[in-house]
Amino acid sequence: MSDGLSNEVYVWLTILGITLATFITRSGLLVLGARLQLPPSLEAALRYAPACALAAIIAPELIYLEGSVPGGWDNPKLLAGLAGIAIFAAIRSMIATIVGGMAVFWLIRWAFGVG
Amino acid sequence: MNEITFREAAQRGARELLPAAPGVVAWGIVTGVAMVKLGLTVPQAIGLSLLAYAGSAQLAALPLMISAAPLWLVLLTAVIVNLRFVVYSALTRPHFAHLSAQRRLWLGYIVGDIMFVKFASLLDREPEYPQRVAYYLGGALTNWVFWQVASIAGILAANWIPAQWGLELAGTLALIALIVPLAKMRPAFGGMLVAATIAVLAHALPMRLGLLLGILGGMAVALTLERRRAT
Repeated sequence: MSDGLSNEVYVWLTILGITLATFITRSGLLVLGARLQLPPSLEAALRYAPACALAAIIAPELIYLEGSVPGGWDNPKLLAGLAGIAIFAAIRSMIATIVGGMAVFWLIRWAFGVG
Repeated sequence: MNEITFREAAQRGARELLPAAPGVVAWGIVTGVAMVKLGLTVPQAIGLSLLAYAGSAQLAALPLMISAAPLWLVLLTAVIVNLRFVVYSALTRPHFAHLSAQRRLWLGYIVGDIMFVKFASLLDREPEYPQRVAYYLGGALTNWVFWQVASIAGILAANWIPAQWGLELAGTLALIALIVPLAKMRPAFGGMLVAATIAVLAHALPMRLGLLLGILGGMAVALTLERRRAT
């Protein structure tokens, strides 16, 4: 299916890397104590970074089908994602977002026979 | 007023986390299923869940791992997705300052988004609550147990779920639920639109560098919008 995941050593190194990222971000400031003060401009930039990162991760996942072919207007993943955004904006429930998004995904695939 | 014991405060933390438990469980199951459906083996997925304990970073890293992105980029992406915790810990830091460095390390590690929100609201309502650390520990450990049990259940169930169901999309939908509230403020919304557009257009770049370009472009736009609004 993919080259990255077929390499056992690579996978475990990335698992350790993601674990290290958890410690750096959650415990870094706590362990360093008062020695490290964040400049206000950096703190402002930090506030926007996670939102930008997640948007940059989600968008290609919704647009591209298997490989790097962009889907059309009837791309079920894209429509499910848009439905998920609408559902969360309306009722603020993660469970409803997941269930409703998947329902749209299955419905579109069934209706258009794609994906 | 009676003295509050460590145990009572820890139980209170756990109790106040409970209303959020169904959401934690649903998200844990989805993350577990998505990790296996995207191609991790069961031991790898359990290892990632138990060690990293970071749902959004785990889900964000998987597309990178699939395209064999370089290790530094996976690490950097996980750090960036988790940067919100740096902002959180700036707030909790003074309350843990009297503890040993090793305790602070573990107190940082076990906090999730929900427990942080609960802790911040406790500090808001009762700034002098004496057993703050116990409250935090009780809630955070409860969150950890719910998350790990649900995630491992999802990992073990994944192989019984047919691939045609496309359940890995549920992981992306969970991330969508995380970012919609972040889009409420205009600078963040503008930054997210730009980050998403760049990431889509630059998708063909090697090593998934389009992701990095998207993040940097989005942050630049968000900061510009914020500055323009301030002046």
